Amino acid sequence: MATSTMLSQLASGMLVSIEIFVLTLVFSLPLGLLVALGRMSKSKILSGIIKVYIAIMRGTPLMLQLIVVYFAPYYVFGIAISASFRFTAVIIAFSINYAAYFAEIFRAGIQSINVGQWEAAQILGYSKPQTFFKIILVQVIQRIIPPVTNETITLVKDTSLSFVLSVAEMFTIAKQIGAREASIMPLMAAGLFYFVFNYIVAFSMDHFEKKMSYFR
Amino acid sequence: MKKILAVILASVMTLSLCACSNAKTGDKKTFTVGFDAEFPPYGYMDEAGNYVGFDLDLAQEVCNRRGWELVKQPIDWDAKDMELSSGSIDCIWNGFTINGREDDYTFSVPYVDNSQVYVVKSGSDIKTEADLAGKIVGVQADSSALAALEDEEGKADVAATFADLVQFADYNTGFMNLESGAIDVLAMDIGVANYEIAGRNGGYEILADQLATEQYGIGFLKGNTELRDQVEATLLEMAADGTVNKIAEKYEDFGLVESLCLEGTKSDK
Repeated sequence: MATSTMLSQLASGMLVSIEIFVLTLVFSLPLGLLVALGRMSKSKILSGIIKVYIAIMRGTPLMLQLIVVYFAPYYVFGIAISASFRFTAVIIAFSINYAAYFAEIFRAGIQSINVGQWEAAQILGYSKPQTFFKIILVQVIQRIIPPVTNETITLVKDTSLSFVLSVAEMFTIAKQIGAREASIMPLMAAGLFYFVFNYIVAFSMDHFEKKMSYFR
Repeated sequence: MKKILAVILASVMTLSLCACSNAKTGDKKTFTVGFDAEFPPYGYMDEAGNYVGFDLDLAQEVCNRRGWELVKQPIDWDAKDMELSSGSIDCIWNGFTINGREDDYTFSVPYVDNSQVYVVKSGSDIKTEADLAGKIVGVQADSSALAALEDEEGKADVAATFADLVQFADYNTGFMNLESGAIDVLAMDIGVANYEIAGRNGGYEILADQLATEQYGIGFLKGNTELRDQVEATLLEMAADGTVNKIAEKYEDFGLVESLCLEGTKSDK
């Protein structure tokens, strides 16, 4: 088969991978912030629940979480699963998993800001939410860009895990082409796709970091 | 930066909308076939990116005759039982071995006679089953070759002589291991073995000693005899009027015609 056919098939799989990547970021970043705030809550019950949530999400394989999210409606609640739920399940599983990791990064960032800034803002008449969004958060974002970039790059590669739910993302397609062609070339090509995509992600994050460094 | 992000987001959302509308089907009854898309010639992705194969062509013909809409759902082979019992697929139709699974599924009549064979590199010093002692043997996880090697009444005694039995997720990985010398032997279905060897331009041999002989059927959820009976009736009709043979001829390279075993499809050799 022509290399161009293989590349175009991989590219169509890449679109699905990108879709998973973008949707996961869109949902997990805000969710991660909420989880971080819950983790730091003064309420012992809330922070306790969040701790358990983070422990489960970080302590079990993402592949298992994907299977659980997809099959739980049937095995736990007896609801028949529709085919379109495959993709939804992937997004849900990725989002709640990455939210746990992002939450800890956010928490580290928030707690790294000197308490003196909160006190100073209070004296200047800022309310707590105002202080958080106008003063603290911008500095937090600056500080957490490197670890967030790490997680983001891991996410690009983790999208390949959705093969367990047979979502036709790039790695699934690469394996299928490999089976047809009886060759390992498609897998190598898929690796190149991931590398290029990650290079773009790293480059954009680097650019973003420079833009955000206006305080220094 | 923001604009780029907005464009990406917008396109992603459009994509997911398309995905939703595709999933919706009309009033036609759908028939969802679960298959391993890495299992040529029974089910695989062709060069145009479509899912094709002998079993999928048969399923398509059954649906055409019954006025159903065929949904081809590639599945992760390890998750096939969960897929079937949760109702996300109606049947497993993918070179699915009946032998040893009779109690777990409701099966159609067998339509293909298939054997499990040993594949070695050309020029290997392994010539018979007895030579396998002390060798490293590879097999697909949860495959019928593995089942035969684990069966106490089957070839478990032969498997006991192996240095090691390694399980692979797919045949491509298996052949990479065989080619690189990481394993000495691959145990697999004869049809797939022929396809893989042809696709790799030779360099491999199939041992004359067979691991097991077995038959393929369509697997339905245990107790779902209603759907089984409908599909089976149409399949027998197709066998009787020669359609099954015609479809098998498309996949002649794999020796499919010779292995058909339905009434009306048996070859007269």
